[in-house]
Amino acid sequence: MLNGLMKKFAGKKSSKDTAKKRLQFALVYDKLEINEMTLESLQKDIVEVISKYFEIDTKSLQLEVQREQELSALVFNTPILCVKKNRAYNSQKT
Amino acid sequence: MEGKIIVVTSGKGGVGKTTATASIGAALALEGNRVAVIDMDIGLRNLDVVLGLENRIVFNIVDVVNKRCNLSQALIRDRRIENLFLVPASQSDNKDVLTPLGVQRVAKQLKSEFDYVIMDSPAGIEKGFENSVVAADEAIVICTPDVSSIRDADRVIGLLYARSITPRLVVNRIIPEMVARGDMLSHEDVMDVLSIDLLGLVPMDDQVVVSTNTGMPLVMQNQSLAGQAFRRIAKRINGEPEIPIQVPTAMKTGFWSKITQKLGLTK
Ligand SMILES: Nc1ncnc2c1ncn2[C@@H]1O[C@H](COP(=O)(O)OP(=O)(O)OP(=O)(O)O)[C@@H](O)[C@H]1O
Ligand SMILES: [Mg+2]
Repeated sequence: MLNGLMKKFAGKKSSKDTAKKRLQFALVYDKLEINEMTLESLQKDIVEVISKYFEIDTKSLQLEVQREQELSALVFNTPILCVKKNRAYNSQKT
Repeated sequence: MEGKIIVVTSGKGGVGKTTATASIGAALALEGNRVAVIDMDIGLRNLDVVLGLENRIVFNIVDVVNKRCNLSQALIRDRRIENLFLVPASQSDNKDVLTPLGVQRVAKQLKSEFDYVIMDSPAGIEKGFENSVVAADEAIVICTPDVSSIRDADRVIGLLYARSITPRLVVNRIIPEMVARGDMLSHEDVMDVLSIDLLGLVPMDDQVVVSTNTGMPLVMQNQSLAGQAFRRIAKRINGEPEIPIQVPTAMKTGFWSKITQKLGLTK
């Protein structure tokens, strides 16, 4: 008890505070990890939806999770070959 | 009335699952319930030695699931604690010999014959974990106050939620002196980090090792602080949720023990 107080007064952080901070960060980070299977089926679905509207080059597309200290982003990169005019028109009618 | 199946699990190994299963099972039986404790750690059985029943094994859980014997033939009755039974694990098979479907069938039968069935899960989150949780109504997650065990507990808690089981947490091996010094996470810290209800706090206790040495259930040793903690946990499970959770505190050091410590007469 006294020991803990002394550390507080001396402004030194106790090791358990460091442990807690690291843990909280690790748990958030762990949950951002997406497994390969999820990523693959997500890519399949995205391609399906986009293909309704655009002609895309399915060979050169890229789907990845970019992670940095503060935030993560899902990045989908695909070259568009052309817009499917009919499709856009049809879907407006319905 | 149907009984309840409770799985004891942790992710990380060596945090006290088997100790907790044996102690909570024995304590629930002492409260007057019919209890079966099941060793699901196929290939690495230990619940039998912790309970001191190792020399009475004939059949095991793999025999029951694979229909090589009846459930009643594999149940070992404890002679010291009335209504406590053990189904040991097999020591020669590996974890793949059981299927969730087979476990579920046996679990159903166990539920009809016992008030509480406690499953001691192996470490890890693979097939052995799967087989241990497949029939569970409730789950107890065990962790110790250290970073890796808590991280693994978080993973297991997520897996249990995904199966619509809301687990409760037991923090084991708490060293009050280290918590007081700020060198061990307190149970409040652990609760801040994990989103789960607390079921109990168990201190580090030499009696745990003594009890395993002799095969005498921990909850029968009245002077054991860990044993007392497990008995209170059992009461909380057994319809007395209002029993307060006691926070392990440092031993009060009297005048003489302080003097002897100063003089270096004690370790
Ligand atoms: N509260 C405690 N105080 C002191 N020692 C303890 C306590 N709880 C458990 N232990 C000791 O820790 C060791 C591991 O315990 P146990 O076998 O119950 O863990 P486990 O989670 O079942 O391990 P495994 O993952 O290998 O199955 C044992 O030697 C046991 O005696
Ligand atoms: Mg074990």
